[in-house]
Amino acid sequence: MVEVKFENVTKKYDDGTVAVNKLNLTVHDGEFLVLVGPSGCGKSTSLRMLAGLEDVTDGQITIDGNVVNDLAPGARDVGMVFQGYALYPHMTVSENLSFGLRMAKGDDKLSKDEIQVRIDDAASLLGLTEQLDKKPKELSGGQRQRVALGRALVRRPKVLLMDEPLSNLDADLRNQMRTEIRRLHDELGTTTIYVTHDQIEAMTLADRIAIMDGGELQQHAPPLTAYNEPANDFVKGFLCKHIDEIVETANNIFQQE
Amino acid sequence: MSEDLAKKHYRPVELSILRSWIITAIFVNIAIIPIEWLRTGDGAMLSILDVAILVILLMMFPEKQESAKRDFAILVAGVAMISAILRLATSDLVIFDYWARAWLLLPAAITVWWISSPHVSAWVKGTMTTETAAKGLARNRNLAPKLSALGIHIILLHAVVLVLIPVIWILDIAFSPGNTLSSALFDQFSTEHFSKILHGESFWIWLRNSIIVSVGTTILGLALAILAGYAFSRFKFSGREPAMFSFLLVQMFPGIIILVPYFLVMKSLGLLNSWLGLVLAYSVTALPLCVWMLKGFFDTIPKELEEAAILDGCNQAQVFRKVILPLSVPAIAVTALFSFLAAWNEFLLALTFNTSNEMYTLPVGLASMISSTSQAWGDFAAASILVSIPVVLLFILFQRFLIEGLSAGGVKG
Repeated sequence: MVEVKFENVTKKYDDGTVAVNKLNLTVHDGEFLVLVGPSGCGKSTSLRMLAGLEDVTDGQITIDGNVVNDLAPGARDVGMVFQGYALYPHMTVSENLSFGLRMAKGDDKLSKDEIQVRIDDAASLLGLTEQLDKKPKELSGGQRQRVALGRALVRRPKVLLMDEPLSNLDADLRNQMRTEIRRLHDELGTTTIYVTHDQIEAMTLADRIAIMDGGELQQHAPPLTAYNEPANDFVKGFLCKHIDEIVETANNIFQQE
Repeated sequence: MSEDLAKKHYRPVELSILRSWIITAIFVNIAIIPIEWLRTGDGAMLSILDVAILVILLMMFPEKQESAKRDFAILVAGVAMISAILRLATSDLVIFDYWARAWLLLPAAITVWWISSPHVSAWVKGTMTTETAAKGLARNRNLAPKLSALGIHIILLHAVVLVLIPVIWILDIAFSPGNTLSSALFDQFSTEHFSKILHGESFWIWLRNSIIVSVGTTILGLALAILAGYAFSRFKFSGREPAMFSFLLVQMFPGIIILVPYFLVMKSLGLLNSWLGLVLAYSVTALPLCVWMLKGFFDTIPKELEEAAILDGCNQAQVFRKVILPLSVPAIAVTALFSFLAAWNEFLLALTFNTSNEMYTLPVGLASMISSTSQAWGDFAAASILVSIPVVLLFILFQRFLIEGLSAGGVKG
């Protein structure tokens, strides 16, 4: 049971701006939760607080029942996929994948053979077996994205975090990777939190979407429920209206034919 | 209509290229005036005349339907050619004369040749057919890059010669027997100066001192600069901005200002005539530049990479050692090269701090060879070539890093 809980979590920067205000949200075991909202709404900050890259000003974050507020990022057992991939340019794909495993200390330390098994598993899961000896700069955008995913998954984290992972890909690849991410989640069942500003991405990927604006949670519900029963005007404008407009545009095009 | 477009816009490439070449020639001839003035007064007056002729030629450049102007331009160019030939005939024909007159003769000759060609004639008279104009456009596209490349290379050749003259001169002096500064180039060959330097004791002492001081400076300077540059790039701390500004400010002072204070400090520390004194002074002097260079490089490494490493379980020191340092090898190598060269070539501090031949570095030792009583020019030249060899080798070795971008491809596309 890996449950992630935000309890009254607040992030206030030194200059006084409140990025996240009293966030209360529970992510259930094995759930695929998408945090969606306009830029500056606090979704990325929330994710980064969970990862440990930002300090929590107030409130509590728990992973699997443990308060992680003051735990080092590396000790929280989370894997993260960054928007810009953030692959280590001087390491091969295989070294990139295994870096986290090699950095592990104490009880978590794996033997060389075990690390190799993990690398091979991740590589075959993501179709990277041929690429293991290459450097990131020799890979295409989609392949780099897969390596970034693999690096997050290879440690078998309790929670998988993704911060706009698809925004650097072109439309074709984005669709392909979206399907792939969902397939991986269904296969592995890792609790996943995914941040995006793209409503369609949120609707198609999520078990449940959490819509944020101005640092506050507006609504959290399964995608269709949020669409059919928006909790307030913001959700109506940001989600329902946006999707209706896309549908309308599509309909207009097809009517012309 | 489209054919008329070709006719309307076509302009022979010769005219535009010639125009830029003549403008260049005007500037070169203006530069020749003071040189002529230093040699003989009359030459300067004649050179002013040359410039005037070229300016008139430029103003007489024909456009379409300006047949009369073209004829006049040919006349002016002819005058320029005659002037150049007459001056050549009456001069002492040293290499400078050939060069200076060529800058008048060649542009004028090319002008006559090109603008009297039937092709340009037809264009100037306006009798060109649409078909030839269209062909001319294709010809322009083909010729223009070649001709402008030729012009640029002639200018660059001048720069190369200017840089090479001292080097060739030094080589000639070093490989000539005796102590002459001026003789015909490479008329005699001898390695006596090199064997004298290499068999003497002083050179090896200076070399040892220079190597110890330069390597020491590089190691100490880099160790401090890498850490400081990283801190300035990544951490927010009080005093960060003023510190970075003061680093820049220190760079603005001419070195001579700190010479006396440095001397007093080193004297009271008992570091005169020691390697450590020079290493300290050089590291401190080179530090601001090295810190700024490395900070600039660290700024380009995305923060996401460090965050990824932190999530992979690294602490701050491990992030630095396992991710940042390997990525910074090119920048560190270049910075190391700079601080090594700065120490290797430094003269003033080394001269001030050291009083005995035992502690001289190479530049100071070289200078000591030219005393007021005896000028060992040949030995001096040979030694200065030997001093340059390590620097040249280092540059060849580090060349790869100067152009390599190791960070490319790690983040984004």
